[in-house]
Amino acid sequence: MGKTSAVIRLGYVHLRVTDLEEARNHYSNTLGMEVVHEEPGKLWLKCWDEWDHHSLVLEEGGVGLVKLGYKVETDDDLATFENRAQTFGVTTGRFGAGENLKVGDGLRLTLPSEHTVELYTDIEFTGTETGSINPEAWPRNMRGVGTHWIDHALIAADDPGLVERFFQEVLDFKTAEKVVDSIEHPEVIGTWMTCGESPHDLACIKGPNNKLHHFAYHLEDWSSILRAGDIFSMDDVPIDIGPTRHGITRGTTIYFFDPSGNRNEVFAGLGYRVHQDFPTINWTVDQLAKGIFYHARELNDAFTSVFT
Amino acid sequence: MAEVEVSPYNISVEVRAGETLLRAIVRSGYKYRYGCRRGGCGFCKVHLVLGEVGYERPIDARVLTDDEKVSGVCLSCRAVPLTNVVIELQEGDRLRGIPQSDGSSVPRRS
Repeated sequence: MGKTSAVIRLGYVHLRVTDLEEARNHYSNTLGMEVVHEEPGKLWLKCWDEWDHHSLVLEEGGVGLVKLGYKVETDDDLATFENRAQTFGVTTGRFGAGENLKVGDGLRLTLPSEHTVELYTDIEFTGTETGSINPEAWPRNMRGVGTHWIDHALIAADDPGLVERFFQEVLDFKTAEKVVDSIEHPEVIGTWMTCGESPHDLACIKGPNNKLHHFAYHLEDWSSILRAGDIFSMDDVPIDIGPTRHGITRGTTIYFFDPSGNRNEVFAGLGYRVHQDFPTINWTVDQLAKGIFYHARELNDAFTSVFT
Repeated sequence: MAEVEVSPYNISVEVRAGETLLRAIVRSGYKYRYGCRRGGCGFCKVHLVLGEVGYERPIDARVLTDDEKVSGVCLSCRAVPLTNVVIELQEGDRLRGIPQSDGSSVPRRS
């Protein structure tokens, strides 16, 4: 039976965008995040239902992922993770408080897939839009889609099995679901891993190293997904696929692109909880399309090819 | 108004002012291989055989390199034609048409 991970959640996504003003409009007006800080060429944003200072950093120049930040319980946990990561054989480093705005010091890891992941314990608490005393169900001044929080990211790796092993052995993540070549030859094609009870906090599929497939926002339910789709039409946001349901995680979804071509997702439905004794669900690669898009049961051209 | 011809299908479509190659071709009822439609993934690259295009928005130099530009590769979701242009799709891709009521517009290679 797996240990509980000291990693709490995906805390921030740091992303490159080609045009900061277009990105501001997309993330702020279409998706409804709030800009909490700005400097020339950079924006910091958060969703209404998040209590930490920010969850998204946008940096002008290029496209794709700069890094992911995962919040961890204690500094002792950071030290443990550092030792284990070094034993595993990846590059580690320490960063100082203030290197990331409002974030304390922490541990920087380079994954076997070359992605940069930062672990930290401290970030300024600013509270949710509705507060934590007798809160209303949602803020009346919510804009656009009104995304609740950044939920997970899906990264690409030449060897997803190695990334899975890293997250299991170093960070105590559990694999909720995986796609394997076949049950007899379980080479990992994709893996959906969690540090808590949600179906995934990080997923990884086969593809080019150091690339992002998408990061996702939590929405309340299926009708919120449909409404998000309406807003994407109003704002001419290109939709990759959806609204539909994933077989893997059972989440309901739309994949869409930001104005620089980075893929986003709106994701709803806590299909199940990953308890300590949760048995990993296996999908065979011949059923990958059904696992990804449960209704169409066909992958579109872009799903396995488009990364930023 | 510029026209884009997709070779070798003998199909030309009008491109409205400020419209990208991709948007004009898709608006005219055709599809080919494309991804994000916002310049990020490079999946919609085509070969520019004749004519000139311009880019009105910044492009990540890793998505469309200078060498590619020189060799006639263009990012069709961001390229706006400055003259009439002729393009060829990437190797392995093909133009797909949405059949009209008279069954006429399914593209054929000429």
